[in-house]
Amino acid sequence: MPEFDLSFTIVLLVNGVMIGLMYALIALGFVLIYKATDAINFAQGEFVMFAGFIAAGMASTVGLPFWVSALIAIVGMVALGFGLERVVLRPLIGRPVIAVVMATIGLASVLRGVAVVLFGASTLAITMPVGDMPIDLGFVTVPPVQLVGAIVSIVFLVGFTWFFLKSRTGIAMRAVADSQTVAMAMGINVRRYFALAWAMAGVVSAIGGIIWGAMLGVDNQLALVGLKVFPVVILGGLDSVLGAVVGGLVIGIVESLTAGYFDPIIGGGTKDFAPYVVMIIVLMIRPEGLFGRRLIERV
Amino acid sequence: MFHREAGVFKTNYAADMALYPLPIAKWTMAAIAGLFIVIAPLFFSEYAVSIINLILIAIVGALGLNILVGYTGQISIGHGAFMSVGAYTAAHLVVSLGWPFWITVPLGGFAAAAIGAVVGIPSLRIKGIYLAIATLAAQLIIEWTINHVPWISGGTQATIQLARPSFFGIQLAHERQIYPFLMAFVVIAIVATLNLVRSRIGRAFIAIRDQDIAAEIIGINIFKYKLYAFAISSFYAGVAGALESYYLGIANYEQFQIDVSIDYLAMVIIGGLGSVLGSVLGAIFVTLLPIVTRLFLESVGGAIFSYSDLLSIIPNLRLIIFGGLIIFFLVVEPDGLNRLWRNIRNYFRIWPFSY
Amino acid sequence: MAGLSRTVLTLVAGAAAGLALIGTARAQDKTIIIGDQCDRTGPTQIVGTTLCPAMQDYYNLVNSKGGVDGWKIKGDEIDNGYKVPEGIEAYERQKQEGVVMMTLYGTPQTVALNQRLETDHMPTTSPGFGISAAADGNRYPYLFPIAATYWSQGAAAVQFAKDKLGGSLKGKKIAYVYYDNPAGKEPLVILDQLQKSEGFELRTFAVPPPGVEMGAQVLDITQRFKPDFVIAHLFGRSPSVLIKSMKGAGYPLSHMVGLVWASAEDDIKAAGGFAFAEGYNTMQFAGAGDDYPVRQEIKAMYKKDGKEPPATMDNTVIYNRGLLQSSIQVEAIKNALKISGGQKPTGEQVKQGMEQIKGFTLGGLVPPLEITASDHEGGGWVRIFSVHGGKLVPATDWMHGYRDLVLNTVKGSE
Repeated sequence: MPEFDLSFTIVLLVNGVMIGLMYALIALGFVLIYKATDAINFAQGEFVMFAGFIAAGMASTVGLPFWVSALIAIVGMVALGFGLERVVLRPLIGRPVIAVVMATIGLASVLRGVAVVLFGASTLAITMPVGDMPIDLGFVTVPPVQLVGAIVSIVFLVGFTWFFLKSRTGIAMRAVADSQTVAMAMGINVRRYFALAWAMAGVVSAIGGIIWGAMLGVDNQLALVGLKVFPVVILGGLDSVLGAVVGGLVIGIVESLTAGYFDPIIGGGTKDFAPYVVMIIVLMIRPEGLFGRRLIERV
Repeated sequence: MFHREAGVFKTNYAADMALYPLPIAKWTMAAIAGLFIVIAPLFFSEYAVSIINLILIAIVGALGLNILVGYTGQISIGHGAFMSVGAYTAAHLVVSLGWPFWITVPLGGFAAAAIGAVVGIPSLRIKGIYLAIATLAAQLIIEWTINHVPWISGGTQATIQLARPSFFGIQLAHERQIYPFLMAFVVIAIVATLNLVRSRIGRAFIAIRDQDIAAEIIGINIFKYKLYAFAISSFYAGVAGALESYYLGIANYEQFQIDVSIDYLAMVIIGGLGSVLGSVLGAIFVTLLPIVTRLFLESVGGAIFSYSDLLSIIPNLRLIIFGGLIIFFLVVEPDGLNRLWRNIRNYFRIWPFSY
Repeated sequence: MAGLSRTVLTLVAGAAAGLALIGTARAQDKTIIIGDQCDRTGPTQIVGTTLCPAMQDYYNLVNSKGGVDGWKIKGDEIDNGYKVPEGIEAYERQKQEGVVMMTLYGTPQTVALNQRLETDHMPTTSPGFGISAAADGNRYPYLFPIAATYWSQGAAAVQFAKDKLGGSLKGKKIAYVYYDNPAGKEPLVILDQLQKSEGFELRTFAVPPPGVEMGAQVLDITQRFKPDFVIAHLFGRSPSVLIKSMKGAGYPLSHMVGLVWASAEDDIKAAGGFAFAEGYNTMQFAGAGDDYPVRQEIKAMYKKDGKEPPATMDNTVIYNRGLLQSSIQVEAIKNALKISGGQKPTGEQVKQGMEQIKGFTLGGLVPPLEITASDHEGGGWVRIFSVHGGKLVPATDWMHGYRDLVLNTVKGSE
């Protein structure tokens, strides 16, 4: 057992928080779609990858400045979100969960193929105008990209919380998610809000793709960050923005601490499945996740 | 099947529930089975037989997953991991105890069933997508365990080599020899599934799928039957895994990762949820899809692209076509290939006197 | 209904057309076919998309010079997407097409196919991955690692660390960062033995797949363990993440060496570029860089066709590995043709041809390999290249470390 070391633990915690917020950023896209349309997006990782590819492709092959290529990535992802909703997801409204899950798995495969055809298979770089040298926060140093990711995450958290609680559109979206039939009866254009949700998820994915892409470089492997999303969203509750962030934080910290303290004992990388163990324990106690809405089922 | 029915009057429930309502149906099935068992290995090339062998293994796995997903309505993304449990169990029994396949394959199935039942426990409280992610967790945890526990993995390579199965002293080494071996298991699996789904257990599964709360109210012990479903489904997976390791001569967990689980899900969805024939068609379709796509593109694409361009285009096009077809089926024909087949059959049933 | 049956008919027709093709044998005279399995899709596609075109380029170059003794070489490439069943199917297809030798890609595929290779007498190369014990040609008669196995790589890395740290490892601390899969754990066999004999302290840091984030491990390495040297054995996206995180934590990259799959230009670029990764050491089993005659010939070949050399050539590490692989195949066929007296060689003859490869260097791109009937690894040569001044510069000559220990481990691994 490696001895307990307070300063090292703090460093691990900070690292976990930073990474957790970056996970939350991707998880947000997932939650937005589920919240508004009840669809599970297994292609979230591919969304992030595709956004990264657009941004990196614009910057490196066309030679556009960072902000322009980032903007193009956001616009492109919004368009993609709209398009996919129309072609793939809308016909599946009201179908069993498995159908939507499988459709997005198929979508993931398509996006992976298309990305390579369009942008090539080699790794592209995204250079954010924030520099590469880590920022010293006194007791710990943090790469600037992670700091940006954390800040963006928090901004989105606050923004979306306000959006769903206060704004007219946000309330309408919640109504749609609650009951499509009732929402329609109240004069809400359900389809419009479905499309809007996918477009919003496109924006979040685009920003996630740019930040993760800046951290890891952009190629097909970037889609793998999507795998990290599942324990995050399930732990937090599929339909909760706050849940995504808290889930991200918990998972980030769990990963960091297990890697720091369990790995040396067990002699293997535990941080991959430790989040899932935490997730299952939480699910057994609260089947709808920490902040998820409890569904009342009737026959 | 390919016959017309007329003047069939069912006078009791047994006749109504029979697998083959007509004697001629029984004979057609027997003829088709005979055709596949005897003729195929004699006339197909060894390469074609190797493809069929892969399909046969896939059919066993797909049948199992369909029992869970199609008949009971529980999503599982951990099918690959259950296969690996069966594979390692069988491989260990062969290597350390030298047991023959007719013991090791079922035992591989039972080991997977036990693990599957454990994984099914959360289904008591968790439903739908949450359960799906819990099975994904099971997939990762089983992979990790195999990778890190040396007495399971058999060493750093996490690979156990085992001899090909032998039958009355003959080692089944070649594709053509191993074909009937796999075929026998497929026939057993199909018959067992057909009988299972019309039994008390099968009807309970369907009731749970259609409306679990209602099922509970009419007296079905949901938890018990969900665990049954997980165990039975995993049993098939374990058998498929054991068969695959016999076929390859090796058990290695890296051949049973998430992408395998997803391929099997694609099989049951493309084939048709809740249908035995659908599982078979789905297994055939998903296994053949990449092969046929490549052959097709190689023969057609050669006219447009140079060979080296073609090599870089084909793999990505295969990804796109695979994903595209899944989406296509879900959007256009939700009931899968099974439904397509039935539509065709119904069309010809009254042909040429359709109205 | 009408639309539906049309869809069905199209599908059936497509399938039938495909199946009909399976049966057709391709009769081509004076062509020797080599079966290459590739991974242009799947988790390791970053390698396959460069490696496989390189192999095709080399075959084209050989053919443009008239082939081998009048025989044309055809590389029949099939993408297996790093999946085992597809690998099996591809193998059976290539076998039917009459290939005389094969290259596999991926450790699981190699392991799964090994039994078939022996039944079918199919000499097969698995450079830089696969089964380390396959260096023993007596036990694995048809499997040729041809490049340094993971065991040799681990031993060479320790040798390099020893040289770098002033000739002794007594009391030093070495961190081994590895991808947490069977391939990642393989060098541990060697490292554990060396730890005892050389007297250094070894600690292992597992990076579970997909390895896109390793902040905690890097903190553990740099703040708690504080090693004198770091050996990294990672794949895919993870090498660049490690380089980036280690640099960020202030660790000197010159005290790190990446084993062969953590050593491509793409890894360095993704980590933040050559200037960022200055000093990082990479282990190569084929020479890196552009200064080899064969590369110039390939460029000339493209120019002659009025085409620009492909961008994949800039990824010299992986591209050159493709050249190494294909050139050794061609060399083996050259030897086999001598044995067969100009007839199309059998698998057995190609195996013998392979076991005669010696003194073939391809202008320095290929190490001084000497493949024999008992040593299918050819000596386990590697060469360290360091990131220096915007490119990869050789830091050592072709080397191997602790050869006796590696060979003993190969022998004792039954």
